[in-house]
Amino acid sequence: MSEEKKISRRNFLRIGGLVGGAAALAACAQPAAPAAQAPAATTAPAAEPTKAPEAKPAGVTVKVHAISGGSYDELYKIIPEWEAKTGNKAEFVFKGNGFETDKRLVQDFAAGTVDYDVCWDHSSFFSQYVKADGLEPLEGYWTAEELKDFIPRLVDATRTDGHLWVMPRHYDISCTHFRTDLGDYKAPETWDQFKEQALKMTDAGAGVYGTQFAGKEEALTGRFYEVMTAEGGQLFNDKWESTINSPAGVKAATMFADLYKAKAMPAEMTNFLWEDVAKNFANGLIGQYTEWFGWYGFFQDPANSKVAEKFDLARQPKGDGNIHSGWAGHHGFSITKAAKEKLGAADLIKHLTSVEGNRVEGKTGILVSRQSVWEELIKEAESSSRPLDKKRLELALLEAQEDFKTPPLIAEWLPMSNVFYPIMQKIILGDVTAQAGLDDAAAQINKLMKDAGY
Amino acid sequence: MTAPALTNNGATARARPRGSADGRLMPVLLLLPGIIVLVAVIGFPMLYSLYLSLTNFTLTTARNFHFVGLEQYITLAQDPIFWQAFGRTVLFMTLAVNIEFAIGLVIAQMMAKAIRGRGGLRTILMMPMMFAPILVGFMFKWVFNAEVGLVNSFLSTITGQIVTIPWLIQVPLGFISLLVAEIWMSTPFMVIILEAGILSLPTEPFEAAEVDGASGWQKFRMLTLPMIMPFIYTAMAIRSLDLARAYDVVRIMTNGGPGNRTELIWTYVNTLAFQRQNYALGSAMSYVTVVISFLFTWYLFRNVMKSRWEGK
Repeated sequence: MSEEKKISRRNFLRIGGLVGGAAALAACAQPAAPAAQAPAATTAPAAEPTKAPEAKPAGVTVKVHAISGGSYDELYKIIPEWEAKTGNKAEFVFKGNGFETDKRLVQDFAAGTVDYDVCWDHSSFFSQYVKADGLEPLEGYWTAEELKDFIPRLVDATRTDGHLWVMPRHYDISCTHFRTDLGDYKAPETWDQFKEQALKMTDAGAGVYGTQFAGKEEALTGRFYEVMTAEGGQLFNDKWESTINSPAGVKAATMFADLYKAKAMPAEMTNFLWEDVAKNFANGLIGQYTEWFGWYGFFQDPANSKVAEKFDLARQPKGDGNIHSGWAGHHGFSITKAAKEKLGAADLIKHLTSVEGNRVEGKTGILVSRQSVWEELIKEAESSSRPLDKKRLELALLEAQEDFKTPPLIAEWLPMSNVFYPIMQKIILGDVTAQAGLDDAAAQINKLMKDAGY
Repeated sequence: MTAPALTNNGATARARPRGSADGRLMPVLLLLPGIIVLVAVIGFPMLYSLYLSLTNFTLTTARNFHFVGLEQYITLAQDPIFWQAFGRTVLFMTLAVNIEFAIGLVIAQMMAKAIRGRGGLRTILMMPMMFAPILVGFMFKWVFNAEVGLVNSFLSTITGQIVTIPWLIQVPLGFISLLVAEIWMSTPFMVIILEAGILSLPTEPFEAAEVDGASGWQKFRMLTLPMIMPFIYTAMAIRSLDLARAYDVVRIMTNGGPGNRTELIWTYVNTLAFQRQNYALGSAMSYVTVVISFLFTWYLFRNVMKSRWEGK
């Protein structure tokens, strides 16, 4: 028995030595690659579209990697029409929800396993794909004339490093929702008024909280970001150093913490995501809050909502920076760099983002990207028995034209958000002060940016 | 044909000269498929992740990363959240294993004494084990929900007031909620192993103790407990390893939050590697965790073996 043990230990040590040696060799074998180049600032000169290619492909198969589910699929119903018109074919190689699609794209671009021509894209995500060298610049495929009809801020939100990367399909933007049945409350014009009104609206006896925010992940980071920018703050300075701990940042974070401490927000708020906050509002638990326009149909449906016809919408409040909040994002399509059918891919995207495509999506209540279609939609809404239907569309267009604000167009936005949100939760819960928490966040973000080559 | 040779412990060995090339190669050849599979599915990924932990690899720099030595390990050593997650995991493991053991032993002892209905009871007890951990997570997330959860509804009913305790948010309630879910899910495992141990014990020592006038407690303390020690160690070893990699239930109920308040080792690995896309740091943390788990397993199994010998 003891002999067996001795042999076994010797073998173990021998194998261990081999494994260690192999690991050391493997670690040393890779030549040190040059450090990542610091990307150009997102303020680089915008790409001007060149002359679009004239030759139209025929008889090709365009492979598509796209988002799916709910109203997203409505748009794909116009694809057979394109196939009949061009003789081309569109083949979906992947369909999934936004996060699954993003995850697959990031992995495919990292591993170099892209076998599709068109991919779904998002204004918050595309910078990762650009950094991974996965996308084809689009300015060579669209003329200035073709871009003219799109809401300019949407197109500008996908221009970085001197190139155009995504063609916008539809968007969403923050909007203040407030109840009209709880008393004589008006739309808050500033974040200070928002806070004051939230405290007044809170009625523990009636089970009503003055407000709420989605309390984790990008949802929380984004809400903080839009309040901070309205207060005059920025996430970074010109040298890509975090300025999140500026007085504007501290004021924004303090508002969240004060509202939580005063019990003007549900105690479990730090566990909420989009569906949770929407359900809370629909259940009549919330006085006012910031929400996407996209939930409007759900809120106005009496079968699902206790607040149908009992709320109003307003432009996002301003802060000390005299800027309206307007955290926004848009969905769109890109052509992959590895695409075999780039012309076919461009042609399919043009069809999907056409006036016809926008009309199809507009009818489902989605906020579309073309200004000409907006005119039609607003005109149609005039005949609605509910005046808020028309007001909503006018407000959504106004906000897109004037307040549309994406997070910084950098690949590090999501990793940065994931560093930041647990710290923001600590601030809200009172584990740290706003200043101490934001100082810590700034230090961690600076490290992340430095590691990323900025 | 040569006669089988006898080894020094009396077992027969194959008639083959020990020093021949054929004799040395055959075992290697027979083991080769297994070794290839192990290297491919365990060895290579582990070595590759070790290599990644020595680089600055992130998903967005996948084609442009370089060797940074022990930098990720130093970052980890300086990260207070890592140490908190580590300490919390050890505490979680210690509390869960011991509470499950205590409850499990009581139930196992009672079940072993039951004359009728044991089979039915055992089936009912096993039910929590039939749920996927992810479903258990969803169920307890609802049970502990502040607004509409079962616990707060019950408290509201008995107090006559609206109770909205944020179980999953407050310290230490969040940790306790996770503990309750884990214990509910896994105590039946303890019961089954310990009951099997109790039922396998010989009756003679108990009859002799009876004749000597030993009390029930004395029989339990002096006979049952020492004799089922191998079963106890085995059950505790398995559960400890299970708990050291606790993820599903925590991921669903709190995901380590809010503000890292319930962060355990593997939720933090997920945060570092997948949410922050820092695969290098995530790999470094995985490696540290695996080494610690390995040492822990070695210690536990050493005790299992020891108790087995002592039992004999």
